[in-house]
Amino acid sequence: MISKDPVSGRELYTPRMATVKRIERLGEKEKVFEIGFDGGGALGQKPGQFVELSVFGVGEAPISISSSPSRSNGSFELAVREVGNVTAALHHMEPGAKVGIRGPFGNGFPVGDMVGQDLLFVAGGIGLFPLRSLINEVLDNRDGFGRVIILCGSKRPAERMFTAELEQWRQRDDVEFLETVDKGGESWDGNVGVITTLMPKVSIEPARTYCIVVGPPVMYKFVILEAKKKGLPNDRIVVSLERRMKCGVGKCGHCQINGVYVCQDGPVFRYSDTLHLQEAL
Amino acid sequence: MAYHISEAELVGLLGHLALAGGSVLGSVPTSSLPWLDWLGPENSPDSFAQALRMPRSAQSPKGAVLAASESMGRYGRSVATATATPTDSLTIVGVRACELKAIRYLDKVLLDGDFHDPAYEAKRRAMTIVSCDCLDCTDSCFCTLVGGRPFADEGFDINLTGLSDGWVVEVLSDKGHRLFATKPPRATPEQLEQRDQVRRAMTQRIEAQNVRWSLRVEDSTPTRLPEAGGEGWQKFAADCVECGACNTVCPTCYCFYLYDQHAGSEEFERVRTWDSCLLSTYHRMAGGSHVKITPRPQLLARLANRVLHKFTYSPQQHGMLSCVGCGRCIDACLGRIDIRQMVRELSP
Repeated sequence: MISKDPVSGRELYTPRMATVKRIERLGEKEKVFEIGFDGGGALGQKPGQFVELSVFGVGEAPISISSSPSRSNGSFELAVREVGNVTAALHHMEPGAKVGIRGPFGNGFPVGDMVGQDLLFVAGGIGLFPLRSLINEVLDNRDGFGRVIILCGSKRPAERMFTAELEQWRQRDDVEFLETVDKGGESWDGNVGVITTLMPKVSIEPARTYCIVVGPPVMYKFVILEAKKKGLPNDRIVVSLERRMKCGVGKCGHCQINGVYVCQDGPVFRYSDTLHLQEAL
Repeated sequence: MAYHISEAELVGLLGHLALAGGSVLGSVPTSSLPWLDWLGPENSPDSFAQALRMPRSAQSPKGAVLAASESMGRYGRSVATATATPTDSLTIVGVRACELKAIRYLDKVLLDGDFHDPAYEAKRRAMTIVSCDCLDCTDSCFCTLVGGRPFADEGFDINLTGLSDGWVVEVLSDKGHRLFATKPPRATPEQLEQRDQVRRAMTQRIEAQNVRWSLRVEDSTPTRLPEAGGEGWQKFAADCVECGACNTVCPTCYCFYLYDQHAGSEEFERVRTWDSCLLSTYHRMAGGSHVKITPRPQLLARLANRVLHKFTYSPQQHGMLSCVGCGRCIDACLGRIDIRQMVRELSP
């Protein structure tokens, strides 16, 4: 955990050393990195939290944690799309490379409130990366939850991520799994259409269901509309926001929306708590 | 406890600070506003004492606790070492009431919550504050519009009030008491009455020069400004040239950026530097054209956000306004935006 030591200040702004143990390609611009701290020790994350990842001499960026605490093994996984300087440098790394880690930061998903409830997961594109940590946590404690419904959307069949895991979810009797792609192809015989087209295919009991939505910014509005059509109250719709979380500890100001620090008060919010935040979604 | 010292004794006290070790920061007179500088061969205790009777300095003392650029520690490919800052003692002389309020706000931001900012905390612990009542002000001073007064009754170690003959010294802390080898005589009731007169006169002067803005906001009753996309901001955003000077001179603007610089072979230094929320790069995230890389692509929204932060979000987050009415942003603005005018016009 983060030291609060006011004198040494260790680990508040300087990273802990860690090593990339395993790298697996997920897509054209996406890879998953298994990372462990040098000198051991688990990250101790909650689903939905993030870390600040340093690539030495390049920079630091907030990255959501993709592995569930239930599958920690002393290491954790970051699934990363190559979009900027830090992620590009990370993508050029080989196993054994050193990185720096601060965190975990943020509130994480309200797992405690979800116990015993039905869960409707809506993952758009690489929104699956942070949602995967919660989905696997729930599946590893399956008896603690009601129905598990997973809706997964990708742009094209080639952009489907973690396909082996998707297949496992599809085959489980205790998971209702639906998938779609925006544009299909000859090899694709599944659903075609944006993710909101899957929403009418499932029926839910709104009073005992949480809808957890993570995806690109454009997706939220439409998925939330569909969720509300199903009668879900605003405090049962859960979203995760993306911002420039620079320090991760609620000091530097970059991720502030109104009176809220996304890095500390979020990144996970109930939709009801974002309604007064004009810039949130 | 209030005491009285002569002008010569004040100069003697400042000289004593210089000899006692540690650094002493204060203002020295210039042809325009006093300039914040170090006590030393170039700047005598005499010049520090003169500036105490002048308006607040051009710069705020923010940099003394949150440096414009400072190391947060070094790390390399094998070990990480945060800087265990050996912080020297620092005395700041001539801190004004508005600046004390700003420091109180920075304390809330950087020392409240689950995380304490280590560099800031070390500096605050090592700091002795010698504040002074304002005996003069700039045209841009407006502390009375935002719930402030040009004199302090908390947040200092000792506070000085200039009288026609010498100074009343209020001592609030042990640190303050230790500044005196022998206790000066207690201030007489007449001297305390004179202090009250000085304070009343200065308050009235600042109220009078701001009467046309007829604005009154307090920590507990912040004004209601329109949302960032709302009407009215455009008029002011049109004059903003996005230089960030208001952020830099502001005693409460605390936003910072973290970056790494090379510090030898496979060694890196993590540096913290002031950042400016008006700059278009401030919120920008990595990402291609298909994603929203910044929540505030328009200057108008960034300007509104800065003012809303001072007047609306800070009271929500920390229970106090983060505009203290020092007027530095008015002096510094290349576009001649006057925050008093902006808040006055946009308030209901």
